[in-house]
Amino acid sequence: MNHLKAWLGIGLTVAVVVAAVAAPWLAPRDPLTTDFAASLRPPGTPGHPLGTDQLGRDLLARVLHGARLALFIGVCTVLITGVAGGLLGLVAGFVERWPSAVLMRIADVQLSFPFILLAMTINAIVGLGLRNIILSLSAAGWVVYARVVRGEVLSVKQRDFVQAAAALGMSRIRLLLRHVLPNVAPSIIVVASLQFSSFIVAEAAISFLGFGVQPPTPAWGSMLSESRDFLYVAWWLAAFPGAALALTALGVNLLGDWLRDTLDPKLRL
Amino acid sequence: MRAYVLSRLAQTALVVFLSLTAVFAMVRLSGDPVLLFMPMDIQAKDVNEFRQRLGFNDPLPVQYARFVGGATRGDFGESLRYRRDALGLVLERLPATFLLAATSLLLTTCVAVPLGILSAVRRNTLLDHASTVATVLGQATPGFWLGLMLIYVFSVKLRWLPTGGTGTLAHLVMPSVVLAAFFSARIARLTRSAVLEVLGEEYILTARAKGLGEARVIGKHTLRNSAIPIVTLAGLEAGQLLGGAVITETIFAWPGLGRLTVQALLNRDFPVVLAAVFVISVTYTLINLAVDLLYGWLDPRVRLR
Repeated sequence: MNHLKAWLGIGLTVAVVVAAVAAPWLAPRDPLTTDFAASLRPPGTPGHPLGTDQLGRDLLARVLHGARLALFIGVCTVLITGVAGGLLGLVAGFVERWPSAVLMRIADVQLSFPFILLAMTINAIVGLGLRNIILSLSAAGWVVYARVVRGEVLSVKQRDFVQAAAALGMSRIRLLLRHVLPNVAPSIIVVASLQFSSFIVAEAAISFLGFGVQPPTPAWGSMLSESRDFLYVAWWLAAFPGAALALTALGVNLLGDWLRDTLDPKLRL
Repeated sequence: MRAYVLSRLAQTALVVFLSLTAVFAMVRLSGDPVLLFMPMDIQAKDVNEFRQRLGFNDPLPVQYARFVGGATRGDFGESLRYRRDALGLVLERLPATFLLAATSLLLTTCVAVPLGILSAVRRNTLLDHASTVATVLGQATPGFWLGLMLIYVFSVKLRWLPTGGTGTLAHLVMPSVVLAAFFSARIARLTRSAVLEVLGEEYILTARAKGLGEARVIGKHTLRNSAIPIVTLAGLEAGQLLGGAVITETIFAWPGLGRLTVQALLNRDFPVVLAAVFVISVTYTLINLAVDLLYGWLDPRVRLR
């Protein structure tokens, strides 16, 4: 069962990455070209395997390009939060005293608010668009890394080999980079893989609510938002972008579970 | 115990104050809320008058002091759109959100917890595999997509349930199912692993060895001990229910706090945004406090300090 889940996760993730990278070649036509003569065609129409939307744009092309955008946002956010949150957690755990106290207070404030609502509020205030949605998600999401990494550092620091290296006179920076960081790295990777899908889904939810990425950019969330007006006549506009999102989340989740089981089975998230 | 609750409440107050300050700072630093709210063709004179009336012309520290002073009295100003007390507007929407969240919690407890226990006790049976598939799928399915699909099937095709709004029990069905879906998947999964962990303990072996029936071994010894991680996670996630409510309420036009917050953000109605932030963070931290107290009650070994 676990092998099956891991392979399914790897398979789905690879499929989404291929779809995203090869979108311009896989897609039958441009995702932004409108064709009013062929609007709201159902799936299976010649030339439009998944049908067309209200402006006659090809749905398959839009879903494939949506994969590009979703993965781009996911990768950027995970990198930013991983590096920023990881570094802050590392410093807070290593230097304890006031950096630790300040960081934990900020974490408390952020955690006193549901993640999606926080990211949405930040996004509404700093402004919409691709760059700002990445910044908002990062600003809301770095705390998880900081917390996990700080906890790990606090426990790794007590281990004998670190104490021994410190007693031998190793400098603090070297100690941090050579002995602590490599032991904390697996947790960072696991958290990143588990956060990845929640970032993608949060981006889609925020774009769905009218913030974030704006039409006509083919983002799954804003496509779903537009589809609401046509639910009575064109189910495919809601079904396919959402299915793509769910399958992506499923693949990345399964991959993350597998990574956790192999790298860091104790970690609870 | 009393000292613990008091210190936690003081901490809550500090956290709420800091989060309000953060939102205030972001709102004021990001531009002029008046201009964003005004129609395009308005005269400069009117803008200035409006700004003067709302106090946006004063220096920032004065505005901040006035904001803090008002906030401690529960006065966040008047909604720019509805011309009504912002906090009153927010509190009015709270019962609808609580109704939705409570129904989802009830659904979760009635479905996910028994499912998790059964799949741990009957490990590696067909039931266990089926429930694993269901939870993995449930965790990956975004609520807003599930909501749209349910509307399509039950409102558009079958015409059994209303697409949105409120009033009857039928209106509550889809929103609470959508809100419960994600939550249930996590709880079922956690329940399963918590029960499995306890089943491996030696006191369970002892209980079985002294001849206790399976019902008592599971019902009494296992459940009470696996309740701790379940309650902890359920509490942490109960706060996320508020986040989930934002999306669910918007899809189903449910007149709750989440939908009001989204509309206030879209309209740049900042007094309402601030009041909503206040109410949400207070509720959220109080839920967490309640969970910690429950935790101490379930496991007397935990000393609350």
